[in-house]
Amino acid sequence: MKLALRELVRKPGRFVTATVILTLIAVLLMFLGGLLDGLLRLSTGALRAQTADAIVYSDASQSSFLRSRIEPDDRAAIESADGVDEVGGLGVVLLGARVPGNGPRDLANVAVWGYELPKSGIPAPPAPGEAYADELLQADGVELGDELLVGPARTPITVTGWVSDTAYNGSGGLWTDLGTWREVLSQNRPDAVLADGVVQALVVSGPGDPADVVAAVDAANDGTYALTIDDAINEIPGVEEQSATFNQILGVTVVIALVVIALFFALLTVERTALYGVLKAIGARSRTIFGGLVVQATAVTLVASAVAAVLVVVLDLLIPPGSIPLFVSPSRIVLSVVLLLIAAVIGSAFSLRRVLRVDPASALGN
Amino acid sequence: MFLALKEMSRAKVRFGLLTVALGMLVFLILFQQSLQNGLLTSFVGAIRNQTAPVLVYSVDGQRVIQGSIITPDLEQLVTTADGLGDVGRIGQGTFSVTNADGELTDTTVLGYEQPLLGAPAELAEGRYPRAAGEAVGASNDADAGFGLGDTITIEPSGYEITIVGLADDVQLNAGATLFVAYDDYVAAVQSANPDAGTPLPNVLAAAPADGVTPEQLVANINGLSDDLDALTRSDAADETPGVAQVQQSFRVIFLLYGLVIPCVTGLFFLIITFQKSGALTLLRAIGAPARRLVTSLLFQAVLIVIAGYAIGLALYTPLSQRRLGGIQLRFETTAVIVWAIILFVLGIGSSLIAARRVLRIDPIEATTGGANR
Repeated sequence: MKLALRELVRKPGRFVTATVILTLIAVLLMFLGGLLDGLLRLSTGALRAQTADAIVYSDASQSSFLRSRIEPDDRAAIESADGVDEVGGLGVVLLGARVPGNGPRDLANVAVWGYELPKSGIPAPPAPGEAYADELLQADGVELGDELLVGPARTPITVTGWVSDTAYNGSGGLWTDLGTWREVLSQNRPDAVLADGVVQALVVSGPGDPADVVAAVDAANDGTYALTIDDAINEIPGVEEQSATFNQILGVTVVIALVVIALFFALLTVERTALYGVLKAIGARSRTIFGGLVVQATAVTLVASAVAAVLVVVLDLLIPPGSIPLFVSPSRIVLSVVLLLIAAVIGSAFSLRRVLRVDPASALGN
Repeated sequence: MFLALKEMSRAKVRFGLLTVALGMLVFLILFQQSLQNGLLTSFVGAIRNQTAPVLVYSVDGQRVIQGSIITPDLEQLVTTADGLGDVGRIGQGTFSVTNADGELTDTTVLGYEQPLLGAPAELAEGRYPRAAGEAVGASNDADAGFGLGDTITIEPSGYEITIVGLADDVQLNAGATLFVAYDDYVAAVQSANPDAGTPLPNVLAAAPADGVTPEQLVANINGLSDDLDALTRSDAADETPGVAQVQQSFRVIFLLYGLVIPCVTGLFFLIITFQKSGALTLLRAIGAPARRLVTSLLFQAVLIVIAGYAIGLALYTPLSQRRLGGIQLRFETTAVIVWAIILFVLGIGSSLIAARRVLRIDPIEATTGGANR
């Protein structure tokens, strides 16, 4: 191990090119992963903020808030079901909002939510005409106390607080009471108006686990169905497809890293065959020599990953808000590093056969 | 050449690993190229391939058709624009429908008033709607329960629409898309939501008068009000939110993959050349011309790049015929040719560093052992 580390310290130039290549691959992994996280974060934040056990949609809604309508009778049936403690209405409408101080064509994309029950990080509904705004809207110039004019009808909503990570469909959330949301809906989207008492969806909590609550709701009422929050997130159009596609691309990229590491250390092993013969002749075991290779592969990967992490963070800072939906998180970086380390260990194992085949007697021949 | 091939056959693992690495990189690049093009086509194909030269959004819509609402005042204002030839309404909604296969699925319905202002520009099969309850569908969705002659039922109302024509690349929002008469769109909205009032048009489709260009008409309409956002057809497609983000994201990804390929190839041949420097010096000392050694090295590089590209292409071809969710992938011939040229140049170019090293070999070093220093 010492010998392997000493070689890294004394002859770093030998490993520079491989480190550069691995850095590029690590940047790719972290960038692709950050892109996936950013896309998911922008479309699922509002649902992840829900503290309820389940969300109830109408039968033909395909789990779309905009197409779901829960009648008062449905709500009454669900409220009276065994295994249900708390029920709250929920609705959303996507609109443009005019921000004070911005140009007349410079609108912010907002998702105006109407809700009854507090969520994770979102307190009880504000007073009518007020909203808690998602921090995402700060990039559009929204400030605390601003009166936003929402939609073509210019419905006024005053921002009274901030919430974070509640984006939906790429739009920053404006969390209002149900009455304000209904007013915004009726004034701005005549095609989506809902009668009094009708909501788009219900959030439901119960004493059991989420699956029990879902079963209780489904048993209590026809014409609606319930999903756990995780299932509701997966039902958002594109979420599953995006995750599957990106994960496959990430998987192939990890395999490429593995092959590159295998290739580099195979070349390195060929170069050192005579040296390994000498080491074996003076008593070094194959296990020790191979261990040195693994240590070097791990060290190269760690250095490449560290450089890549810095580069990705810098890239994230340089990208203007709203251009590329990149979200760099410590968990994504750690996951990428772990995947690369696994690839490094497996990749360096390609050289094991050659190390085992080195004959100590060859030291005499040379 | 003989020496080059002999060396490759004796070091199968090393050359094999390089070929596999290049093959997978090529596969990823081509696959992502198809993914990008398929994504954009299924996302805004309905805008790009419809007949209206100019689309007028409300500024509130932020260039999303469904998000835009044209109020009666704005609609009236547009009709007064200089250079306006003709104008018609377009409405768009996303509905839950039961397709011909009996599956409940999401479908975008686009309603247009006049065929020359919002209908698909060309049909691949069938005809345009002539009666109520008829639609043109996207040929990409034909195998997914949206084929010619299929009847689609809007839920939960049961409103039926029959597909009488199919057009290529006219999807919107990466899902099944139907073009219907505007009145059918209104009926669909009201059937799906009984509480809904009469929907306002989402955008207006406009055509310039004779002698007026679409760009001039766009400027004239935008000059009427800050609440109007007119765009030419291609601008409307390109500036749909998300399109630029997708293009920028893929640009960064392609750049990184494009950088990895010459790095891997260059590093490989540099190390190989370094390892063989003793033998190469000896060959030079016994009279082998430097050109022959360089040719041999480049021959190997060419062979590796071609083999790697062939592997990548072989992996990509079957995948390029598939459908990813609502996105129809397709074999991108132009991308295959362009990337072949780029990667060939990059791959061979990077191996020139190794070639330079070969050219610098001094045959006299065979007598001094300098080649092994």
